[in-house]
Amino acid sequence: MTTAPLLALALALLNVAVALLLSPLAEGVMRKLKAIVHSRQGPPLTQPYLDLLKLLGKEDLRTTGGLPYALAPALSLGSVLLLATLVPLGAAPPLGFAGDLIVLIYVAATSAVALILTAFASGSPYAAIGGSREMMMLLSVEPVLAVALVVGAVKAGTLSVGGILAWNAEHGPTISMAIAAVALFLALQAQAGKLPFDIPEADQEIMGGPLIEQSGPRLALFRWALWAKQLIFALLLVQVFVPWPHLGIVPLDVVLTLVKALLVLVLVGVIDAVNPRLRIEQAMGYYMRVALSALAGLAFAVIGM
Amino acid sequence: MAKVQGVAAQVNEAVAGRIGAGLRVASQGPPDTLRLVVAPEKLRSATEELLRLRARFLITVGIDTRPLTADYRVLYLFSLDAEHLFVVLECAADPDDPHVDSITSLVPGANWAERECRDAVGVTPDGHPDPRRLLLADDWPEGLFPLRRDFPYDYRPPAAGGVAPVPKQPPEGASVLPIGPFFPVLEEPSYWRLFVEGETVVGCDYRGFYNHRGIEKLGESVLTYNEIPYLAERICGICGFIHSTAYCQAVEKAAGIEVPRRARYIRSIMLELERVHSHLLWLGIAGHILGFDTVLMQTWRMREPVMWLAEEISGNRKTYGMNTIGGLRRDLPAAVVPKVLKVVDEVERESVAVRDAIVGDTTLLARTKNVGVLTGEWARQVCVVGPPARASGVPIDARLDHPYAAYDEVPPRLCTQQAGDTWSRLLVRVEELLDSIRQVREGLARLPDGEVLVEVVDEIPRDRIGISVVEAPRGEAVHFVMTGGDNRPYRWRVRAPTYPNLQAMPAMIDHAAIADFPITLGSLDPCFSCTERVEAIDVRTRTRRVYSHKELLAMSRDLTRRGGRR
Repeated sequence: MTTAPLLALALALLNVAVALLLSPLAEGVMRKLKAIVHSRQGPPLTQPYLDLLKLLGKEDLRTTGGLPYALAPALSLGSVLLLATLVPLGAAPPLGFAGDLIVLIYVAATSAVALILTAFASGSPYAAIGGSREMMMLLSVEPVLAVALVVGAVKAGTLSVGGILAWNAEHGPTISMAIAAVALFLALQAQAGKLPFDIPEADQEIMGGPLIEQSGPRLALFRWALWAKQLIFALLLVQVFVPWPHLGIVPLDVVLTLVKALLVLVLVGVIDAVNPRLRIEQAMGYYMRVALSALAGLAFAVIGM
Repeated sequence: MAKVQGVAAQVNEAVAGRIGAGLRVASQGPPDTLRLVVAPEKLRSATEELLRLRARFLITVGIDTRPLTADYRVLYLFSLDAEHLFVVLECAADPDDPHVDSITSLVPGANWAERECRDAVGVTPDGHPDPRRLLLADDWPEGLFPLRRDFPYDYRPPAAGGVAPVPKQPPEGASVLPIGPFFPVLEEPSYWRLFVEGETVVGCDYRGFYNHRGIEKLGESVLTYNEIPYLAERICGICGFIHSTAYCQAVEKAAGIEVPRRARYIRSIMLELERVHSHLLWLGIAGHILGFDTVLMQTWRMREPVMWLAEEISGNRKTYGMNTIGGLRRDLPAAVVPKVLKVVDEVERESVAVRDAIVGDTTLLARTKNVGVLTGEWARQVCVVGPPARASGVPIDARLDHPYAAYDEVPPRLCTQQAGDTWSRLLVRVEELLDSIRQVREGLARLPDGEVLVEVVDEIPRDRIGISVVEAPRGEAVHFVMTGGDNRPYRWRVRAPTYPNLQAMPAMIDHAAIADFPITLGSLDPCFSCTERVEAIDVRTRTRRVYSHKELLAMSRDLTRRGGRR
């Protein structure tokens, strides 16, 4: 997977731009969808952009000092943007390299870690509970993501995300890849912080949890990171595990991938609208079962199915 | 009625046999009420005897009767549900240093009632397990009792300095998670301090009554008999008609006024319509608490036509202003009947759809099954009422136990469950919702002709008592009236259903997850304003606009022209 450095840079910028500029739109679509299920008119599709603009224009209030607390929002969004460059969008990941799969798994966890840091630093009991819930969710969901990607790695015989994509596009659907894709989709619900897994934020229980003390630009960055993250994971899912049809014409593939990712998010939005919130231990049990099922996918991969 | 009289005689005999001397039957009182005057030292044994007869404690009424009897009186209201009888134990307290024996150790449900009586009238319950202040603000000066006769209703005492609430200490190793006084899922102020270890609740402390505004005092000192229904209606923002009905019935009972049959039917119909919209409202809030906003949005959409119906019947979505002593101020127009039937048909169709969706929802089941369990035994001890009691297998329903309005002719179906968890409470309410619709239909079908108001010509006699219970959507509401001169009650006492129900909360959340606290509290359908007897004001819109009287009038007429359609 060698791409000319200039093209790679251009594609990386494209990925970052998509993550930053299109993710609020995807969020807007999900909000509109929820409104339709509610028999409401709902906010305009552009509302998330307006939210961000409004928050970014506000005063930066902090409940506490300290470097980790000060940097957490930037770390959160920054890590998500780095993640964007490791995810394929119509072509191989722009900054991909031989072992990028391992890096991806670690970078994917960073934004949650930033949130947990903020939660424990902000000194509110609600944030502390939210932080510990966030940590438990991270520990339950990360294994699912890891196992799903490892299934792809075993199947394609490579630790590079681009390699898995290429193998998948060439060989067509297999049982193990299908299982991994489903597991990744189920993990997406929690990664996006949607019901029934918005437990760390749980407005009605702990008033937003880790984010309770966040406002203005800091809240904007956290929100933006979350929206970008859900779009990136949807892209990862549709590109790595459902790459067909792979046309080989980059602009067309980019558009096609974005449409598919949006459809995935629509599905996530529907699940969000028709479910109540689970308790944390119920969610952990659920993801443990998902991870075990994903392991079955790994077994299939090992025996070559 | 003869049967009730017979039971009353038996109860009287039983109590007399238990305590020997020191008992006197007060002569006056409505036929379904047995009023026993007991000597102070015999209060506890009389209570024990009543409990043995399976009496359910309702509330205490502290009365400053110094102008009449030169002492204080505390009335303990009990209900013998199966026998359809109210029993009142009346106990005198020294005018200079009023004390009574606490009965909380016998009836845990008397805890708040005794504390409130102490705060408001100044009669101290001796031996009370938790004698902290309940009703009055922390900076209210010591030794001032607002419900005493010599306390002017508009007196504002200077705030006492150097005072603070007395919080319960958390158990060792537990930390405190404050819920309230303002919290997203609590529509009204209520302050819970949860003692938590990790995600587990190991205890709690409650401080409420932030909304107390002295409605009882206002009724006893400023308003007249016929003005109070409008104040009573404003006790609650949801079940206003229940409170005005309960108050009117209490006065009617005390004065022996017979209400026309048609008025009783219309009261029943309005009460059931109120239950329909209240249960739909609850269902939505329960969904919202669990993050299931689709339920909230859909049930509240379904509820809206019922509100429009109320507006068409009474002129108001809420706070109908229809009740008055002796009947109703406003008849149900014949033209509105088909509309009512149409609306309830639609609500029924959609409610059945919602019920079927809910019953099949495994995630909802996982969040409500075995959550916030209230055992039948504890429900009886704390005297829990309404759907929470029925969901714990306690078969009480004021509409059946003490029939009022037209419930003797159109009785409800008793909806009970045994498990006592949040899921059971949900099932009970959904069943009741559908049963209320049936009652509205039956009531309309059998609606008799005639007057809706009997003219009250005679002056209402003094010193009579009337107890009236009404099954509100949240449970039984109790109104007690002791008649007085000046065309107003000498004492008016209100006990809303949330008052006993909230006292069951600590047991229900013991060793629960924090995540289960909001839905457990929500499953009681708490109404803090009711409990605290104030006007609830709902501020929904963020924009403020002041309408002139003219504009309002034009808007209202415009709406009427369109037949209530927006």
